[in-house]
Amino acid sequence: MMPRSRSTISPSAGLVLFLIALLTGCSAFAPPPKPEGLNTRVYTANESSNTVTVLDGDTYQVIGDIETLNYGAHDLALSRDGKQLWVTNLANGRVSVIDTESRKTIASIYTGTRAHVVALTNNNKHAWVANISDNTISIIDTTIFRILGTIPVGKGPMGIAFSRDGKFAYVSTQDKMVNIIDTSAHQVIKQIPVGPNPHFLTLGPDGNIWGTNTGSNDIYVIDTTTNEITKTIEVGPAPQQIAFALKGTAGPNAYVTVTGINKVVMVDATSPTLAIREQIDVGDGPNGIWANAVGTKIYVGHTQSNNVMVVDTGTSQVLSTLPVGRKPIRVVASR
Amino acid sequence: MNDTNASLLRNARPRLTRQLISGMCGIVVCLGFLSLSPVQAAEELVGNAVNAVGDFTVFRTDGIQERLEGKGSLALYEGDRVKTGSGSQALMEFTNGIQVALNEDTDFLILSRWEDGKGFTRILRLANGEVWVKTMGGPKPLEIETPVATAAVKETEFDIKVLPDGQTTLTVVEGIVEFGTAFGTCPIKTSTISYGNRGKKCTKPAPVDVAPNVAWAQGIRQ
Repeated sequence: MMPRSRSTISPSAGLVLFLIALLTGCSAFAPPPKPEGLNTRVYTANESSNTVTVLDGDTYQVIGDIETLNYGAHDLALSRDGKQLWVTNLANGRVSVIDTESRKTIASIYTGTRAHVVALTNNNKHAWVANISDNTISIIDTTIFRILGTIPVGKGPMGIAFSRDGKFAYVSTQDKMVNIIDTSAHQVIKQIPVGPNPHFLTLGPDGNIWGTNTGSNDIYVIDTTTNEITKTIEVGPAPQQIAFALKGTAGPNAYVTVTGINKVVMVDATSPTLAIREQIDVGDGPNGIWANAVGTKIYVGHTQSNNVMVVDTGTSQVLSTLPVGRKPIRVVASR
Repeated sequence: MNDTNASLLRNARPRLTRQLISGMCGIVVCLGFLSLSPVQAAEELVGNAVNAVGDFTVFRTDGIQERLEGKGSLALYEGDRVKTGSGSQALMEFTNGIQVALNEDTDFLILSRWEDGKGFTRILRLANGEVWVKTMGGPKPLEIETPVATAAVKETEFDIKVLPDGQTTLTVVEGIVEFGTAFGTCPIKTSTISYGNRGKKCTKPAPVDVAPNVAWAQGIRQ
């Protein structure tokens, strides 16, 4: 009888090997870690429910609602690191500051009558808030939440955007103007006539300022080197907000929410003269719009159907529709 | 113990008791203010206007206007706008122990900021004119906002003046005031003055005779 060969592996070493095999095996099936920057959080300011809804922009899940502790949530501005969300509240003239990690309102600051829109300076040190009925911009320190000054502007400030270098702020006002503010002097240095009811303003990927004239159904582009309007195009009744995204090799394109026809209108932003390339059917009352960081999806908020549609810009198909609070006016997403 | 000492003690005891009760009430009011929710604050009594000479008007948030003439007690609430006319002055006492005197042609809003964990900070948004402020009974957070600057204090006496173009002059009678514009901050100490101008950092503190800044408020405080 052949002697039984003794195992050369001790029980403890076997256990170690088993654990290694188990771990190795597991790692083969574990999903790769999510690349940083793809944890897209989407936020909506819900004017009639005084809340901000938080969505997962990658998995299309509703994460929850945050109470603003104020009335009439209207506009949003998210800090570059995604940790601080600023919310204007039209009804009681205050801004709410939300800590996005704890999903809690951590400050409430009175800025002025009908606090309308908010934008963070390029270095995120100050929040600029436009107060429609006071015709002013309040400047708030984003660390200590203290108002450090007020800039008088034209009648009824409606939109704010900063130039790439931060030297100028552009403020649209109801008196059919865009006011240009020298940010080193806090003075309006020029007013550019635009159309009736100028509303939203944003910095485009071309370094120019893009705006909507809700009253004359068009959008315009202000060249930031000359501070003159260089392009304009009619897009449909009551255009609201603009986001920039890609469609395959085409782009960047400006996606404009057009409330009057319940569509998102895609404008070729690279064309010397602006040109409409496509119209995408969306829900009732499209208003807020934001693109994900890589420009492959847009998130569209609807003030009448109280939801956000996620649209794949490559196919222009709606990927998901997510319920949010009542009357979502503004949509922003993390970078 | 002689009669004089006994008399002094008798007189002192009620005074001491009154001061203790007054101090406790102040602490309770202050803690109550700090622990309110942001929504509750709008309905809370902020203080009272207690004396006015000339034209002094309180504009409520619903448009109602109320006036005080001479000594009295006119309740003040969050969101009220208060104004003095030409040649007029007024004195206010806030529930947390802050005294504010208004010189002529002064116009400000009574506001607050709420922060999680810190509670409320009382804010006076001064559009025009001059106020003298003294905090009493311990540190009381207070900020005076002007169109170009903000003065933040906890325990101090100071005078702040705003011109129609927003130019702000801060004179500190006693204590330290954190004075800042959007372009930088300057701690201003006892018997010094600093200026805030649009688009500029506040000026370095310079020594100044504070007597005139105290003198104008003496009359209305009596």
